[in-house]
Amino acid sequence: MSRLKKGFSGNNPIGYLFVAPSMIGIGLFYLVPAVMSFVMMFTDYSFMDKGGLHFTGLDNFNRLMEDASFHNAVGKTFIFLMTVPVSILLSFPIAYALNQSVYWSKLLRTLYFLPYIMNGVAIAFVWMLLFHPGQGPINATLRLIGISNPPGWMAQTDTAIFAVAIIHIWIMVGYNMIIYLAGLQDVPKELVEASRMDGARFWHTIRYVTVPLVSPTTFLLLITGFISAIKTFGIIQATTGGGPGESTSVLSIYIYKTAFRYYEMGYASAISWVLFAIVMLVMLLNWIGQKRWVHY
Amino acid sequence: MKAKLKWALPGLLALMVFASGCGNSGGGAESGNGNGNSNGGATATATDGGGEAAGKTITLKFWGGVPEEAGPLDMVKAWNDANDDVKVEYVRFVNDDSGNLKLDTALVAGENIDLYVSYAKFMVEKRVQAGSALNLSQLEGYDIEGKLGEAVKAWKFEDGYYGLPTVSSQSFIWLNKDALDAAGLPLPALDWTQSDLAAYAKRLSRDTTYGYVQGTNMFSFNMDGELQNDFVKDGKSNLDTPVTRASLEAWHKMMHEDKSMPTYGEQVATKMPVDASFLKGEAAMFGAGNWIFRNANNLTDYPREFKIAFATVPRPDGARSDFRMEGGLSDVVSINPKSAYKDEAWKFLQWYADEGVTYLSKGGRIPASGQVDNSVTMVKLVEGNEQLYDLDSLKNVLFGNQETYINTVPVQLNDLRAEEMENYFLNSRSLDQTMENIVKRHNDLIKRNG
Repeated sequence: MSRLKKGFSGNNPIGYLFVAPSMIGIGLFYLVPAVMSFVMMFTDYSFMDKGGLHFTGLDNFNRLMEDASFHNAVGKTFIFLMTVPVSILLSFPIAYALNQSVYWSKLLRTLYFLPYIMNGVAIAFVWMLLFHPGQGPINATLRLIGISNPPGWMAQTDTAIFAVAIIHIWIMVGYNMIIYLAGLQDVPKELVEASRMDGARFWHTIRYVTVPLVSPTTFLLLITGFISAIKTFGIIQATTGGGPGESTSVLSIYIYKTAFRYYEMGYASAISWVLFAIVMLVMLLNWIGQKRWVHY
Repeated sequence: MKAKLKWALPGLLALMVFASGCGNSGGGAESGNGNGNSNGGATATATDGGGEAAGKTITLKFWGGVPEEAGPLDMVKAWNDANDDVKVEYVRFVNDDSGNLKLDTALVAGENIDLYVSYAKFMVEKRVQAGSALNLSQLEGYDIEGKLGEAVKAWKFEDGYYGLPTVSSQSFIWLNKDALDAAGLPLPALDWTQSDLAAYAKRLSRDTTYGYVQGTNMFSFNMDGELQNDFVKDGKSNLDTPVTRASLEAWHKMMHEDKSMPTYGEQVATKMPVDASFLKGEAAMFGAGNWIFRNANNLTDYPREFKIAFATVPRPDGARSDFRMEGGLSDVVSINPKSAYKDEAWKFLQWYADEGVTYLSKGGRIPASGQVDNSVTMVKLVEGNEQLYDLDSLKNVLFGNQETYINTVPVQLNDLRAEEMENYFLNSRSLDQTMENIVKRHNDLIKRNG
């Protein structure tokens, strides 16, 4: 039987049929646009331009070098990336506590996870009310505890990025917690007990037994967290739209504005590929770093 | 038996794919009903309902930004009742970034659009460049300059008109006359200044939450009335002048010293609905334009008892004597060159400009065509609510022959200026730094665009 015939007579045709829908989807909506944007970044292509493609070499990249708005966006993106370690640090104690036998643990688990599955725009509007500089409950509380001049949150250029970061952290904590809960289930009880028998205190058990044992989970959360933080668009667009000024204009917002407000597709493609390079760089650093602290 | 089973699942899958494919095309045909096939334009469909020997009926698809209930529905009904073989279907898109993107994508992708409305000069420019607008000057039957007057020339491109402005749009100040009366303030003069406005607002803010509110896009209107599109002078940015500075300083003072208007931060952080704020009586004065009529006449959602009067957009202190208000002709209707029924679309457009648009007056649209009588429009603007408007100031401000101009500020320039202005209004930067940044970024933009 020839290889070809064999290939089609076994289970393969069924297999191809099953993967076809997703492969067609990936091809149409990811691969083709990716290749096109790669070509476009060397052109000055504008969406509403019947002139077609003009290759401009590296012009777009020269422009990137001098574009203060782009530099600002890169800086803001890195600030926003800090939400990842913060949300991981916050979610671990919660998961740890919920993994013990506490009252209402199922209810609490659901409550912490809820933000992750809620509608982003709805979340955005609720937080805008919470962050209201004058009458919002957050500032009211701050005033109550004696802070007479609380921050303006989204109404102030130097705090706006932290305001949206807080929302993102709030959303991600629940997700991280669920994943940590799964990881904690795999921590062998014998090891924890053994360390207790050997006289390890509570903190030591966590530091030297639990944390190393869930380090693969932490690594997973770091990777997925960075990816999701870098692509965050919805809550920023819905709350501040990149403002005030350019204070929350992260790369995804800047790309959107360049592509779909100014229709500068060529330049937007170039920024997108820079964003891709940043993602790859962050992943690479993670990957290199993991050998030192991830224990499988 | 086993072999048969093996194929059962993929067979089912194939069937499902096929079926969903059918479903899609069915849906496509449905949504495209009456507006045609992939080559754009309108297609002929048999009349349903009537179904007599009427032959073929054409349905033109007309995209506009005015909500259906604010006039377009009545307009479509009037046309459809009078025309048996050419029907019109109105499709509403929201006139914001994503709405315009939707329209542009549909135009470029060759979707069936016969006519559409553009609301800014830079958008018409883009669409002309993309070959998405028909040169109307090549068509006969409508004397564009004759009917729309000198002002229409602002919409002329090198080789003709690519769209017909149908509405005369204006920016002006809405006043709560009851609040003014209570404070003993007379209606402001037609040539009042930003300082006058500030004084009014300060006095009025004693009785209402705010003396004055305006949409965030209005913060540059006063300086633009001074610049009148001369953004560039000798190849350099012309945005830093004593008058533009005075204008920005006046707003800053109102926010932070007089506290007679909301601070910028508060306004954007809460996405303050400024129109509702005025119509509910929380703010005594409101900078906007004729598009607010559709809310002001809607007493169900915005109940009010006070009378509304009108004032012109105040000029910045030290402004030139020929300061002009932003406004002029707007709502430019273009015909899609890919339309299969250009002649019918052109016939409809002529009717729309002279008559159809009058149905939109109750939503605040003032017809541009000289054929429409101003006094008739005025009646329609306030119809049913006459006692809630000060008709004299309405007449003086809206129909008082004030010189207007069309703002052609490029979108990138408008954005960068707004971003820098925000920093100033939020006290993140001084006025000097703000002006320096605006000029620097503007000069970069000039350099890039040649």
